[in-house]
Amino acid sequence: MDITITEELNNTLKDNGFKEAEIKELIANAESSGQKLKARDGDISIAKGGADNLTVYAVYSPSELLDVYAHKMNIIGLTGGELNEIDYDDASNWACAKCGEIALERNVDMTYMGVTRPGPGLVCPKCNEFYVSDGVARTLKTAEAILEEKRA
Amino acid sequence: MPAKDYAPIDENWLENAGSLWTTPWVDKPSERVIVDPIILSHAASLFRKNAGYFYQNPDEAIRMVCHACELYDVTPVGHYLYADYWGQDYGAEIKIQTNSPPGITKRPIKTAEDVDNFEVLDSDELAKGPTLTTHYKALDTCKEEFPHMFAPITQLGGTMEVATNWAAIEDVFMWMITEPEVVDKLCQKAGDHMVSACKATSERYGANVMITGSVIASGDLMDTEQIKRFSFQPVSRAVRKVLNAGAGPGIYYHLCGNHTDDYQMWKNAPMSPFTIVQIGYDGQNIFPTTKLVEAFGDRCTCFGTVDTKLIDRGTPAQVYEQAKEQVIAGKDSPRGFILGTACECPTNAPPVNVHALVKAAKDHGKYEKF
Repeated sequence: MDITITEELNNTLKDNGFKEAEIKELIANAESSGQKLKARDGDISIAKGGADNLTVYAVYSPSELLDVYAHKMNIIGLTGGELNEIDYDDASNWACAKCGEIALERNVDMTYMGVTRPGPGLVCPKCNEFYVSDGVARTLKTAEAILEEKRA
Repeated sequence: MPAKDYAPIDENWLENAGSLWTTPWVDKPSERVIVDPIILSHAASLFRKNAGYFYQNPDEAIRMVCHACELYDVTPVGHYLYADYWGQDYGAEIKIQTNSPPGITKRPIKTAEDVDNFEVLDSDELAKGPTLTTHYKALDTCKEEFPHMFAPITQLGGTMEVATNWAAIEDVFMWMITEPEVVDKLCQKAGDHMVSACKATSERYGANVMITGSVIASGDLMDTEQIKRFSFQPVSRAVRKVLNAGAGPGIYYHLCGNHTDDYQMWKNAPMSPFTIVQIGYDGQNIFPTTKLVEAFGDRCTCFGTVDTKLIDRGTPAQVYEQAKEQVIAGKDSPRGFILGTACECPTNAPPVNVHALVKAAKDHGKYEKF
């Protein structure tokens, strides 16, 4: 898969400490394993990678990298421990590329600096894989900054 | 009273109070639980002013609130809000009242057809509107004069609160029976409005603490299915949208009134790492903290309450006894506990009753599991 990266996004990558090669590898892994989210109404995908202390997401079309974002809070599982029925529509605009299930918007427990709290995640109900949206990653950045300040 | 006429805030108190306040979210031990009596126009009464004065002078209102926080040794946050937000932006008229918060006298939606034609404002339009310009005047004063007491709060209410600030409550309740799909539309628009309002605050301050939940949609006025359809579901969708728009991370679910039959559904409401749940009443009685912690303790910070009627009309001993019972039941809640009041501290509540609330937290609110 030959992904192009605009100069503007390349600058964003550099500003945020992401390396182009790592992002391309992350996308290649998602493509080969099928472990990614795919837009239900288009040709956009979200791949994730990284480690316990930083989860990185790449949003891309078949030809172009569209966005990259990350969070430090580590997702450890569903809040409440299991996937029960809830009383409103929780279907997201994304589906799991591996199993085809629609990803659900559910609370997931996240841990950072010894503090565990819920946050809004995108959950594949079959593969038990967790993702967050770009907007939620921005919200988490604020949460992380508060925890860093108060836990220091 | 201009800023120069206030005595300086005690920096040592502020540092300690700030540390107490953040304990529930960051698991960092402090000496006791914090108390939040939701002080608004009550602060004005401490300065021999009335509620009307408080709401006509948002910059001064926030000064009075911040100094009241120091006086009572409670949560050091500059609040400024009232229930009837968001009508004026859409053409409603409000009346400033001497002894109570502003009230809406004329609402923009008169008929079911008006609901179809009603257009929600975007964040730029709201930021320039009467509600947020007044609200931001208070928040800006807080940020400038009391930076350690600043929180970027947006007063949303729930979808039913917004809906009944746009249309008369008797019309909304009639449509709930005769044309429920009209109320669906209205609540969906209220949810969209909530997203715009949160985005406006987030764009201005870089973050947002949303006060939402359910006040009108309580068990005394609606059945559980109605609460689910017109409050829990549209509020949940709106909060998800807010968080997906990057406009968090604070969420304060203020479930005022009686929630005996619907409180369990709020366990699945969208949450962020900084979520508080407060429930006012269990039938006619104050909501027991044991029940609150059992349902929400493993998910978010629990806000246990003392009856506002007791704060207003009870004796200090009665306030102290109820506060003691609630704080002992909640202080070791796994994700933090706040002791407070079921709703806004009544404007003319005796100060000695607020003091009794705080004293109970000092006497019995020491953490034992840290």
